[in-house]
Amino acid sequence: MALVEQNHMYKETGEISGLSGRMQTAIEPQDFSGLQARRQALDVYWQQGVSGYALLRKHSDFIDHHLADSFARSAPPGEGFALVALGGYGRQELYPFSDIDLMLLYDPARKDELKSLVEAILYPLWDTGLEVGHAVRTLEECMADASEDFFFRVAMLDARLIAGSAPLFAKLTEKYKTVYIEGKRQEFLDDMLEQRLKRETQYGRHTYLLEPHIKEGCGGFRDIQSMVWTAHVVFGLQDLASLQEAGLLSLEEFKRFEQAQDYLIRIRNRLHYVSGRKNDQLFFEHQEEMAQAFGFTNAKDMLAVEHFMREVYGHMQTISVTTDLFFEHVEEVLGSDDAPMAGKTLEPGIEVRHNKIHLANTERIRSEPKLFMRLFYQSSRIGKSLHFRTRKAITANLQRVDDKLRHSRRNAKLFLSILVAPEPFRVLEEMLDTGFLTTYIPELAKVESLAQHDVYHVFTVDRHLVQTINELEKLKEDESNTYAVVSSPHILFLAGLLHDVGKGFGHGHADRGADLARQVGERMGLTTNELGILDFLVRNHLFLSHTAQRRDLEDEDLIMRCARQVNTPEKLAMLYLLTIADARATGPTVWNDWKAALLLELYLKLALLLDRKDLSAQEQERSAELGAQWIREKVSELLPQGAKTNFDLFSDDYLLSFPPEVIVQHINYAKKLDKEDVLFLHEQSRDSWSLLVITRDRSGLLARIFGVLALHNLNVLAAKIFTWGDGTAVDTIEVSSAISETYDWQDWEAMESELHLAIKQRLGLEHRLSRKLAPLRNRPQGVQQRLAAKVAIDNEASEIYSIIEVFSEDRIGILYDITKALSDFGISIYRARIGSKADQVVDVFYVLDNDGKKIEDPSFIKELQEGLLYAVSKQ
Amino acid sequence: MKKIEAIIKPFKLDDVKEALNGIGIKGMTISEVKGYGRQKGHKEIYRGAEYIVDFIPKAKLEIIVEAAQVDEVIETIRQAALTGKIGDGKIFVLPVEEVIRVRTGEKGKEAI
Repeated sequence: MALVEQNHMYKETGEISGLSGRMQTAIEPQDFSGLQARRQALDVYWQQGVSGYALLRKHSDFIDHHLADSFARSAPPGEGFALVALGGYGRQELYPFSDIDLMLLYDPARKDELKSLVEAILYPLWDTGLEVGHAVRTLEECMADASEDFFFRVAMLDARLIAGSAPLFAKLTEKYKTVYIEGKRQEFLDDMLEQRLKRETQYGRHTYLLEPHIKEGCGGFRDIQSMVWTAHVVFGLQDLASLQEAGLLSLEEFKRFEQAQDYLIRIRNRLHYVSGRKNDQLFFEHQEEMAQAFGFTNAKDMLAVEHFMREVYGHMQTISVTTDLFFEHVEEVLGSDDAPMAGKTLEPGIEVRHNKIHLANTERIRSEPKLFMRLFYQSSRIGKSLHFRTRKAITANLQRVDDKLRHSRRNAKLFLSILVAPEPFRVLEEMLDTGFLTTYIPELAKVESLAQHDVYHVFTVDRHLVQTINELEKLKEDESNTYAVVSSPHILFLAGLLHDVGKGFGHGHADRGADLARQVGERMGLTTNELGILDFLVRNHLFLSHTAQRRDLEDEDLIMRCARQVNTPEKLAMLYLLTIADARATGPTVWNDWKAALLLELYLKLALLLDRKDLSAQEQERSAELGAQWIREKVSELLPQGAKTNFDLFSDDYLLSFPPEVIVQHINYAKKLDKEDVLFLHEQSRDSWSLLVITRDRSGLLARIFGVLALHNLNVLAAKIFTWGDGTAVDTIEVSSAISETYDWQDWEAMESELHLAIKQRLGLEHRLSRKLAPLRNRPQGVQQRLAAKVAIDNEASEIYSIIEVFSEDRIGILYDITKALSDFGISIYRARIGSKADQVVDVFYVLDNDGKKIEDPSFIKELQEGLLYAVSKQ
Repeated sequence: MKKIEAIIKPFKLDDVKEALNGIGIKGMTISEVKGYGRQKGHKEIYRGAEYIVDFIPKAKLEIIVEAAQVDEVIETIRQAALTGKIGDGKIFVLPVEEVIRVRTGEKGKEAI
């Protein structure tokens, strides 16, 4: 690999070397002795500054010369043989490590002479270490193979005679043309489109992947070739320039396209050198070296490699957009035998025709710039794409998007409605591809095609932002409960679109982004309140994921501080959704269920705290009301028609604690209370059991239930205790067995009958339990570190109830002891949240004393605390 | 030679890495792992939706050291990862038969 290890530091110049190049002294292929000198030859060319297309051509000439030489030396006389170059070699585009596709065409009558000729040609090629694709075919075989193999059929388009019989070669090309080109335009196009689709599936639909494949990837060489081939077959055009002459490309498009192509050629040349093999993918590890070779240097706010990759993405984007437009055009031309259909006018100036949205008159957009947004709005509204000619017209007239349009409220309203409508992603991509998005929101221009040189960010910043919108849309369903809390989704989506707008200036992108987003929002005419939320979301878009991954979530002070910072459940919900969407849109390594679990833990901790604590009473009530309202609606939908349900019975709190289906289940069961005193249901869920007890509320009810559970060796994992307005107690209790892994033996019937007895006060729980628990109480002392039990009584958090929080170590029967103690004090429990976590119990009870008042007498509070502490520390 | 595997709370990872750097441990393998032990998974209901966390996210470090350094490394990890609460994690020590550096083929101590 001498070629590579010499480590040339010649910079790839920005100039496009023409065929004659900038060589001081022309060195010709014959100056080298045989194919063996190929590397040496490339080295010499390289040192002379031959780059870009000129190098490909030189390389191809070199191979031509030496192959022709071998052929001349060993070919038998006459017209029996022709040496043909195919594919890239046929086009005279040979990269340093490209395959050399050769075909020896022969007259079957001369078969006997074939062997020695093949050897004379191939052996020297093999000795160079090049990949040689070779085939030996008669004319008939060529035609037969072409009928079966699409790639060969395409390779034949570039067939070029290197040496041998011109008449034989001409016969082949004629025949090929008659059979496979003439009258086969539609088939050819279909095959080509099918291949394009396959490549898109294999290599990704996007030009801005972290490690772009510059040959097969979107916006790579295959796209260019597909366009040229198709132009050749369909329109008989030979090259790019003739595409422009024929009006298929505007002069502007042609120039940009050619520039992009030249850039990619230089990259691919260099990439072969850098990798020392046929490698067409711009791998992460090569990118820095490539950037240096292309003359980029690190700047304060952008790395050389980021600058370089931005250019690469920009050029690939040009190729991708141009070829997309081209293929749409061809499809339309070939499909035009459909009867021309009159367009249906959607609004003055915009119509829908053949499933695409058209500007009725492309000139009109110049005098009526509001049509820009109207077009996208219609596209979003009726779910159809813009026709390619309309897209071209948008791009060509972007200078008409002026400050007046950018400040128009009406325009902004349309834009925001596109964001929250279905498929915002599709519309935003079209906005981005046409250049409209960065013209309308110039703040985004700075992040267009901006690459981030790390292994996490798969997309360039602009694509990442659009992708975030895509993910946000999916969350409407995936996280529908959280989404239901959001009352201004347009702000959430706008924050999604703008959250990284501050990138490309070095550190602190979130703060800078928030300032920029505010600027955008002001221009769009958002209210002060909306601006505040937008600013908050962009500024804090990393807050939740950083906290979840780097901070101790058991630290209650931390959770409290975070909750204060987020302030309202609605803002928390928005931030949570934005965090998930952002992570999912970043790349496959960024979002996984590991991170999801951490984030969820933080989210729930904050959410429960924000719901309970009076951090911002007004906001919080409003958002809880919204959530509860949603559940009420769902429940009504689920109940049979005509069922009368008095929703006043259910507190918001209750409604927000269960899925709507479960609430419906409760309502249906409760109807049986007329006939039965206690309703008991058990249901297996994963590795625990879920119990439902519905009965009329009475004092000491909970203690009796928990007592029976303890009697049956069941640990309470979680419980939710509610009392409806009509005095119906609805208790759901999550239990697991304290002794056995399986529940097969669990005698639910015996338990149910004991539950009935206990609730009717006909079961001596106290003595039964003390007998039962005696053996369990003989714990080894001092082995385990004891967790200090704690009882807190809070009269601030809730307007109606006193809230008692009990922290203690878990043991069987503890809930019986706690609730029994409460009952003995005459305290009624209206709601409870039982949570065992690890070995610790955190139980929260919403209670009133026996007069139906809060517990506010300091001496009673003290007495109660001591009583409860005694109850939980009983041995 | 021994391999030390430590399962710790994710937010303690930076502290532990720093502490290990401090005693001259420069290389380690880190992975995101999930599991449960005494600190079980749990289920929460918020606004009508059920959230089940059946496992707890942890960070895992793997370090190869010479036998003589094992105690120091263990103590360093333990101190840095300690919060005193449940779920602080565990440290495992395993024997290692051989270490080979792929690039050079060096073996044993040299390859650590």
